Formats: sequence, structure tokens, C-alpha cells
Amino acid sequence: MSQPVRLRPPLERVASRARWMWMCTDLLRWVPVTAVVLLGNGPWGWFDLPTWALAAYAVVLLAYVVLVPQWRYVVHRWEMTESAVYTQAGWWARERRIAPMSRVQTVDHREGVIARLFGLATVRITTASSAGALTIEGLDRERALALVDDLTRIADSVPGDAT
Amino acid sequence: MLLVHPVRDLVRFLPALVGILVFGQSSDGGGRWLLLGVGVPVVLGLARYLTTSYRITTGRVEVRQGLLNKRVLSAPLDRVRTVDLTASPIHRVLGLVTLRIGTGQSSGNGEERLALDGLTATAASGLRERLLHGHVSQLTNRDVAATAAAGHVVLTLDLRWVRFAPFTSSGVAIAGAALGVVAQSAHTLEILPSVDLDSAARLGAVALVVLGLLGVLLTICVLAVVGYLLTNFDFQLLRTGTEWHVRRGLFTTRETTLDQARVSGVSIGEPWGLRFAGGARLSAIVTGLDRRQRGSSVLVPPAPRAEVERVSAEVLGSAAPVTSRLVGHGPRAHRRRWTRAMVPAGGVALGALVAGYAVSWWFLPLAAAALALGAVLAHDRWRALGHALVDGHLVARSGSLDRRREALHTASVIGWNLRATWFQRRVGLTHLVATTAGGRQQVRVLDLDEAAATDLAASATPRLLEEFLTRPPGRPLR
Repeated sequence: MSQPVRLRPPLERVASRARWMWMCTDLLRWVPVTAVVLLGNGPWGWFDLPTWALAAYAVVLLAYVVLVPQWRYVVHRWEMTESAVYTQAGWWARERRIAPMSRVQTVDHREGVIARLFGLATVRITTASSAGALTIEGLDRERALALVDDLTRIADSVPGDAT
Repeated sequence: MLLVHPVRDLVRFLPALVGILVFGQSSDGGGRWLLLGVGVPVVLGLARYLTTSYRITTGRVEVRQGLLNKRVLSAPLDRVRTVDLTASPIHRVLGLVTLRIGTGQSSGNGEERLALDGLTATAASGLRERLLHGHVSQLTNRDVAATAAAGHVVLTLDLRWVRFAPFTSSGVAIAGAALGVVAQSAHTLEILPSVDLDSAARLGAVALVVLGLLGVLLTICVLAVVGYLLTNFDFQLLRTGTEWHVRRGLFTTRETTLDQARVSGVSIGEPWGLRFAGGARLSAIVTGLDRRQRGSSVLVPPAPRAEVERVSAEVLGSAAPVTSRLVGHGPRAHRRRWTRAMVPAGGVALGALVAGYAVSWWFLPLAAAALALGAVLAHDRWRALGHALVDGHLVARSGSLDRRREALHTASVIGWNLRATWFQRRVGLTHLVATTAGGRQQVRVLDLDEAAATDLAASATPRLLEEFLTRPPGRPLR
């Protein structure tokens, strides 16, 4: 039996530094919860957690912060051709998005605080559908700027009102 | 047409006016207060009327308004998707309408929509012609009526369809809102319901609960019927050339004109109540109109399924997308529907069992009910799953409580999203989402086999996916 036609993953990976960026953002996301657990257990005395519970929390947190960025790095990919953009993102849930150049409406370049620490940027490509925006996180800044230029050039050269 | 703002503002200020009247009579100089109370709204209304103006310049429509805070709203004419003519009872007495222009700016909120209040009916229909066709039309009112008569009436409301009203959720929504208002005013006016405990005891608790439930049910039904009639009375769907006209409303009438070229598909809503009663509703997927403006895209109010199918066949130009059998999603999708429904239901049942053991055996039926409900939902959700690609339309159906069958023209697909969690990837399933610029912004095909999803997307938009496919050598791309 022949192999059926499949969608292959996009070709290009994001910058490998993106793993460190995701590690930082994931850590920051857990800071409030961790603070409540530690302060509530110690100085504030809200509750009295057994040591094994604290250890379990630490293990889960560590695993999350160490493993999820690696997983993301394996999944996050992108590709641009003359006629379409194709991205893949996520970790537990993987989302692939394809949009033709003729439907691209805006191209954004963003650099968050943490992304700037690592010299990274995010490119976001919107279409006329609010469900169809493509986001590429963790691109090298120079690469992102070049990509934005290319995207704008190609999208502008295609006629039509993108709906 | 000068009157509409002052009259409407007077109505809005009515509570204040009553207050002024009461206050004015208890002290001297009441006449002056009254004059102020009537005068201020009238002056404000006049000012608004006098400072609002519109014009159609080369390819753009502009609305300027405001005396102190000036603002200009403008939109290119070729972005005009729909034109709505609404007339409240006050407007109708004065022979006026409000004209709203749907431009399909997804980011624009309701406040910023282009609206012209207080046009005469003739001026409004002339303006509508110009907006939709971009040319100056010399139509008089009689000509407009003649065109409408020349159009082909696709659907008129049959009053017997009111029987579907209690099966929609709108009755519950209206009842909820009404209850809120009643409770609020009862609270502010300090009217508290007095319960005669003796008579309640004589009736018995069970009878009281049953009577109360019946009362609530009856109220919801009546409100639903009233709501249905208020919005849909005299509903008429008319086709003239390349346009669809919808007219409806009992007191406040509303006329919507949709350009056929902007209609990219239809969505048939069959929530469980309507489905049980053999009914459905139909709305158009209009390019550039999102769901916040969904009032503009209603094609058939809750009505018998046969009517909905007939109208959608006429709108799509083919009956196949609505009537053809759908391709099912296979045993893995079946299993997934069941696990997704039964895991939460099982959790509830387990909780109920524990509570039944620890607290009271009254919790035990709850466990059985949760499991039964889960099974019914799983089965119904499984039966809904299906997709097809017929006559140039991508068709997808899903959902149980809120089941929808959507048919989207493939030319209006502006991208694809394929989403799969780890569980789905393990069994080779994926959600396939076609994004579009109208309606809910997407048409979702749930739990499709990965190869089938690729195949479906590649057949719907052949050139888009080609570059990203892995092809075994020798096999041509379809």
C-alpha cells in the first residue's frame, strides 16, 4: 500500500536561543504561584505543607521549565515561499497554520522585554480572518527584520483586497 | 426629520422630566424647571441633527458629526458589505429610518459603525442604492417599490413557525433579562413578595415546586414567542438581481441588503431544542461581517428544516452542500468523542458515589444521571461529525447542544489551521480549520484522519498546499 499524501513540517527552525527565552518566560509565569507556596508555608503560616509536597512541586516546576522549552524548540518551525506562509507551533497541542500570500493583510514585528534580552523577535502575520493569524516566536532579530521585509514585498505584489 | 432626535431624547429624559415635574410643583418657579427640562433635550437633539452631515466623494462615504467633539468617519465604497435600514416606532411615525453601513472592519466596535439617523425613507433607499452600486440612482420611492415587487420573494414568515420559538434559547435569555429587571425594580421600590406560609403548607412542598416550575416554563415560552414575533414579524427574504433583501420586525422594522458577491457560504444552526422540534435556522456567512454583526446576516429565522434547506439551496446555487450525505470520521473519532464526554461524566459520577457513601444516598441517582447524560452527549456529538466537499463548497457539521452545519465556498477559504494535541497525534487525528473573513471566521472539521485532512484541504485549495506535501514518488497530485 502506498503512503498517503501528508503535510510535512515547515523547513526552518527558530533561533536556538529561543529555548532560553521560553525558559525565562515559563519561570516568570510560575513566580506568583511559587511565591505564594513558599511564603504561605514559611513566614505567613497560611498552611503547613509536608516536605514531600514541596519536593513534588519543585520537581514538577523544574521539569516544566526545563522540558517544555526543549519540546517547543522541536515543534516550532516556519517556512515562507513565494505564494504562502506556513508555521508550526505549540508543544502539547501542535498547531500548523497556512496562509496564502494573497490573503496577508498586516505583518508585525514585535520584541518583548525578555525576547530583547536574547536578541530575539516575534513576527505576526494577520489575514482578514481573526482566526487565521500566524505567529513566529523566537526568531533572530536580524532574521525577523529580513522576513518582515520579504513578506511585505511579496504580499504587496499580489493584487486584491485580501478577503 | 428634525423631530426624531428631540423626540427620542425626550423619551430618554422622561424619568428626569417626571422628577422635575414633581420637584417643580412642590416649590415655586416650576414652570422654569419644566421649560429647562423640555428645552435642553430639544436643543441637544437639534444640535446633533444640524451638525451631522454625510457625503459620498470619489469612492468614499464620509459621515461628520458633533458640535463640540467633532468626528469624521469614512470608509471606501468598495468595502461596503451590507446596508441596514432600521426604524423604531418613533421613526416609523415620522416616516424616518436609520441607515447603518456594514464595512467589515473586524477591529471596529459597534460605536464606530457608520450610521445615519433620521433620513427620510426615500432618501435612505436612494442612498442605499448609491452605496451598494456606487452610482447615482434616480429612483423615486415608487420605483424602489417597483424594483422590490420585481424581485423574487424567496421566503415569507408563516405565523405557524412561532411554534419553534419556545425551542430556542432566546426565551430563556429574555426571561433571564426580564427577571433581572423585575428583581431590580422590586428591590428599589421595596416591594417584597409576601409568602403566605399557611397556604403553602396546605398545598404541600412538592405541589408547590411543580407549580413553580410549570409557571417558569410557561413564562419562558410566552416570552420566547413574544420575542420571536417582535423581531421576525413580517419577515421577508427577497432576491433582486445580485442582492438579498431581508425585512423583519413588528414595532422596530429592519431591512438589510446583502450583496450576493459577499455571501461566501451559509451556516445552518440546529441547536438541540430546534432539532427536536424539526426546525433549524439559517444565516449567511458574509465576507467582512463578523459574528458581532450577525443580526445583519439572518436569512431564515427558526423555521421548518425543509424551508431552511430550500433557501440555502437558492443562496448557494446548489442543494448538494446542504442535503448531501457527509463523510463520517471513522472509529478513532468515535472513540475520542466517547472519551471526551465520559471522562468528565465519570468524574462527576465518582464524586457523586463518594458523596452517596459519605453523606446521603440521595447522591446516588446523580451518578447514574451524569453517566447517562455523558453517553447521550457522546453519541449525539459523534452522529453530528461529518464533512464533504461538494459543488465547490467545504461542508462541515459538528456539535450536539449547538449543532451547526456550515457550507463555505472554497474561494473564500483564506487559510488553514491544523491543530492536534498529543492524544490526537497518537491516534493520527487532527482538527482541520478553514479560516474565512466572515461569520465565525472559521469552519471547523473536528477529529479528521490526518491523511483525510490533508486530502480535503489540498482538494479545496489545490495550489496552496502543494509545496508543503510529502509525496511518494510516482504518485500524481490530485
